[in-house]
Amino acid sequence: MYCVYCGVRLQDGAGECPLCHTKVAAPALPEQPAEPSWPDRVPRKEKQSGKRLVLSLITVILIAAALSCLIFCLKSTGRVGWSGIAALGMALFWVWVILPQWFPRWRPMIFLPIDFLCLGGYLLYICKATGGNWFLSFAFPVTALAAVLTLAGVAMMRYIVQGRLRLMSLLLIAIGLSFMLVEFFQHITFGTPMFVWSLYCMSVFCLIGLFLFIASFIPGWRAALRRTFFY
Amino acid sequence: MRKQWYRLDNAALIFPAVMRKNWNNVFRVSVTLKDKVDPDILNRAAEDLLPRFPTIFVRLRTGFFWYYLETVAEAPKAEEDYAWPLTPMTRRKLKKCCIRILYWQNRIAVEFFHSVTDGTGGMTFVQNLAARYLALKEGIEIPAEGRILDPKETPKTEETRDCFQLCGAKASVSRAEANAYRLRGNPEEDLFRHIVTGVVPTGMLLEKAHEQGVTVTAYLAAVMAEAVLARQREDRKPGRWRHIKITIPVNLRKTFGLETLRNFTLAVNIGFDPRLGEYSHEEICRLMYHQLAAETIPQRMAGRVSTNVELQRSLPLRLVPLPLKTLAMRLVYALSGESKGCLNISNMGVVTLPEVMTPYVDRFDFMIGVQYSYPNNCSVVSWQGKTYISMIRSIRDSELERLFFSRLVELGIPVNIESNRR
Repeated sequence: MYCVYCGVRLQDGAGECPLCHTKVAAPALPEQPAEPSWPDRVPRKEKQSGKRLVLSLITVILIAAALSCLIFCLKSTGRVGWSGIAALGMALFWVWVILPQWFPRWRPMIFLPIDFLCLGGYLLYICKATGGNWFLSFAFPVTALAAVLTLAGVAMMRYIVQGRLRLMSLLLIAIGLSFMLVEFFQHITFGTPMFVWSLYCMSVFCLIGLFLFIASFIPGWRAALRRTFFY
Repeated sequence: MRKQWYRLDNAALIFPAVMRKNWNNVFRVSVTLKDKVDPDILNRAAEDLLPRFPTIFVRLRTGFFWYYLETVAEAPKAEEDYAWPLTPMTRRKLKKCCIRILYWQNRIAVEFFHSVTDGTGGMTFVQNLAARYLALKEGIEIPAEGRILDPKETPKTEETRDCFQLCGAKASVSRAEANAYRLRGNPEEDLFRHIVTGVVPTGMLLEKAHEQGVTVTAYLAAVMAEAVLARQREDRKPGRWRHIKITIPVNLRKTFGLETLRNFTLAVNIGFDPRLGEYSHEEICRLMYHQLAAETIPQRMAGRVSTNVELQRSLPLRLVPLPLKTLAMRLVYALSGESKGCLNISNMGVVTLPEVMTPYVDRFDFMIGVQYSYPNNCSVVSWQGKTYISMIRSIRDSELERLFFSRLVELGIPVNIESNRR
């Protein structure tokens, strides 16, 4: 018996071609199913590890803790006050740590923007709740900078194959320079002196970045680094 | 019997680290006899082989710095085969034994966790199990020749050694290479594995390969590459095409003239970039053949072994506790482990047995499991003038198998198809 579509010979008694699923029509042959080459026995399902149960339990505990904080604070002071910060902090923890666990795979390009968006929202809430004036000039640009650098790093590692070392070195230099930006935002928001601690961070990151950048042009060094870290 | 323990060989290190609840690296070798299998005799045969194969009858243990293998006191009991092969071995099962002995009608199958051995070691074990079974059941005397070992003999040192430590070069070879097209599809929800076996005449396959001036492995890799290319054309727009690469595990025993019953293979990726233009069948065959030949010269293989062994020997890395090592290995595997090839073609070659055993044996099958992110894989074994090409898949879509086997038919090779379709 042959499949008219694929041209392969099928097992006697096969109802359809396992490749293209074309039904087999062989009226000349007696209908006699061949002996199956595989049994019907299905492997017993392994016991679930209980991951979902643990996650549900953590979620319920977090909701209960957040609600208790809110109720306690509302009853004792009549306002949301510190309990809002605590409850949203728990929500942020849930988004960053628990939420990705529900999914079979961690997809950074989806989860990371959500994480940073929630962090920004949380900081905005703290700023408003404490009557501060530091969100737009400090928290927002610093969070955005961290989000951009993290996403760039992850995207680079996942999607770019050629010239990774050079890109990595540029990313390190960008991280180094971003410390200076952070201190700049700190200066304009809180009036702290400019460029004190950030210079140390910047010099370390930029030196490593510069070394990797130079190494990316020297085949021997590049090969040695590739062998050592097999990026 | 006193418990013995073995360090994982260099190739085996990655498998326990990257295993998941629903997936780990297992493969299967089976032998189909002319008569129905008696499970009691099979259990006795396995027990008899226990002292002879101390590196096969092992369980996976967790140390502080590394995983290791420990011999088991009893051989695992033979169980009835399942509706599909290569169900994942969970950590709990691996702590008991890293192999599974199965039977169904005339077939004896053994499924191995890849940290224990490779295809050649697995085939050696299955042949010995079949030989012992036949000796007990039929009362025949089977001489210790070819892969058949004397069950009364004590295991030789070279059978239990990690050969990767013996064949490195002074310099290492980079692992960097372009990413390949990733096959995809709708996964089967209950971990069902579809097996489609194409039985083709070995002589005709060999003739077709020789017409192109290539080996059977290169020829099959070329036909598979054509099928994957056709699949990519259906799946993606030309602007998003990736390299078509087939991963071929290479048996290093022949390359370095060393023998072991543990892992001693290294995979090479061979293929082409479809964005550069159209390729004819002849061109693909030649490309595959020459790339395979260039990649598998002993010097290059030794360099690649060195790359792997250097990391294992690095003192700072050795001092890192196992959980951190596992984390790092998982990260590296997730980033680059399975992105360099579209699927594997593992060719076991022609199986031979002592003459006295041959009348009792109907066929051999060799199957490798799917990778974590490749939904398809292919394995090949030849016996008595027939080549058994087993394609496994974890997805519903059978398009790749259709493209591959119908291409073989187009090329003039008759294919008999068998499957475990439900």
